[in-house]
Amino acid sequence: MSITSEFVTYVTTSEHWNGERGILHRAIEHLRLSGIAVVAAAAIALPVAIWLGHGRRGGFAAQSVVNVGRAVPSLAILALLFPLSLRYGFGLGFWPTLVALVILAVPPMFTNAYTAIRSVDPFVVEASRGMGMRPFEVVTRVEVPNGLALILTGVRIATLQVIATATLGAYVGFNGLGSFINEGFRQQDNGKLLTGAVAVALIALLVDVAFGAVVRRATPWRKLDLQVSTKGLQP
Amino acid sequence: MKRSIKALTVIALGLALVTAACGSDDDDNNDSASTTAAAAKPKIKIGAQAFGESKILAEIYKQGLEAKGYDVSFHDVGGFRDLEMKAFESGTINFAPEYAASMLEFLNGKKGEATSNAGETAEKLNVVLVPKKLKALLVSPAVDTNAFVVKKATADRLGLKSLSDLAAKGEGLKIGGPSDCETNPFCVPGLKTKYGVDFSAKFQALETGQIAQALDADSIDVAVLFSTDGRIKAKNYVLLQDDKSMLAADNVLAVVTDELALDPDLVREVANITRELSTDALIEMNKRFDIDKEDAADIAKAFLTDVGLL
Repeated sequence: MSITSEFVTYVTTSEHWNGERGILHRAIEHLRLSGIAVVAAAAIALPVAIWLGHGRRGGFAAQSVVNVGRAVPSLAILALLFPLSLRYGFGLGFWPTLVALVILAVPPMFTNAYTAIRSVDPFVVEASRGMGMRPFEVVTRVEVPNGLALILTGVRIATLQVIATATLGAYVGFNGLGSFINEGFRQQDNGKLLTGAVAVALIALLVDVAFGAVVRRATPWRKLDLQVSTKGLQP
Repeated sequence: MKRSIKALTVIALGLALVTAACGSDDDDNNDSASTTAAAAKPKIKIGAQAFGESKILAEIYKQGLEAKGYDVSFHDVGGFRDLEMKAFESGTINFAPEYAASMLEFLNGKKGEATSNAGETAEKLNVVLVPKKLKALLVSPAVDTNAFVVKKATADRLGLKSLSDLAAKGEGLKIGGPSDCETNPFCVPGLKTKYGVDFSAKFQALETGQIAQALDADSIDVAVLFSTDGRIKAKNYVLLQDDKSMLAADNVLAVVTDELALDPDLVREVANITRELSTDALIEMNKRFDIDKEDAADIAKAFLTDVGLL
């Protein structure tokens, strides 16, 4: 039997969709964990990055610290967290995977947000101060809107990485889409393996498309800028 | 590739014969005859599955055969039996420590042919190994089956002594084991057919090294370990008796390619090692691996020294 037909047979069997170990439940768990990880990482990374970018200092040191999260493989973090999670009563699966994913998601969010704020035109910032804006207003009304596209790009990159890497949770008993890949590999069941891989790819793709739409909605002026500049070129 | 190895063997054997014949009236030639014979010894590539005992057994055969002058290499197949079979097919390995009943059921499509009689099970295994061009050698007295264990507190609370008790009173319990347990006839599917209890929805797949940890932390209620796991005794787990004989004769044996099986010297040397293995020795060696965190190669060396093979 070819791999494609094994895959088709697997996904067209209705019992593979239902129950706690079925495709639907695992897909929802996978998305839920990824979503929580992204929100948690954003809550940690974005305020600090924006604050440091606004002050225009301390960025290099902070970035070096954050990038450690990028250098250590998520699998190693998982392996280290697993016994700790069991010892302190957090159990299998969810918590160790969540922490590993947050560590993974912070660096791209932080780097992009910090760069976004840093690279806002200093004359614009100066002008807003001149208009009498308070520092907080400068951040919320000038720097963040100006850097929003880049900030959201960081979140988007992190989200994709998180969805793909959440598959590793299967190694510590997280019942997500990675379980299909892990079990498929161990049971030499290509249909199962491919089901996990395709589902993860599909979800990542859909989330990315949705994210693109959100970014376009959140930063409508980018389109406007383009129109203004082309108009300016006309005689 | 295979043909060229065969050709080489024939040439080497021919040379050995010629030199032996020529040297019949010359004392010096005894030496050269034995070196030629040594060169004709097959190269052995041992594969180990992804759990401690398989690694230890692979090391025992490796070091034991090396001591007899064989050229032996060690290969991690990176998973369980399915990957080991692929490694045999591709020629990456030509020797593996195996378990009679589990391998038989893996190869016969889980027909349930394995019995609790080791010799009988090994004979049936050899039948299904023929098309794979493999052969199972001497069966050892050492047995390792799957072991369903619970914490003592769980056993006392629910009154669990056997797998029948588990089937009757174990509703809602979560079972954790290696991921192949889901399809292994001596694991979750066996519980369903023999004991009439379906744990498939309550099954948690885990890496082999982490199953006992998960049991200790109450993340699972029933752990699937190996019966030779030293932790069962050390941690005072309760082993649920297999009262309906679901578990068949999983005696350790060496599975080799037909080419290796044709070499009577090698078969004899392997048997000498296999004969020394025992269930108690496995329990002791697993304890040193899992609990004392010793190296598989060191454990194997100590065992071989103990039984006088090194």
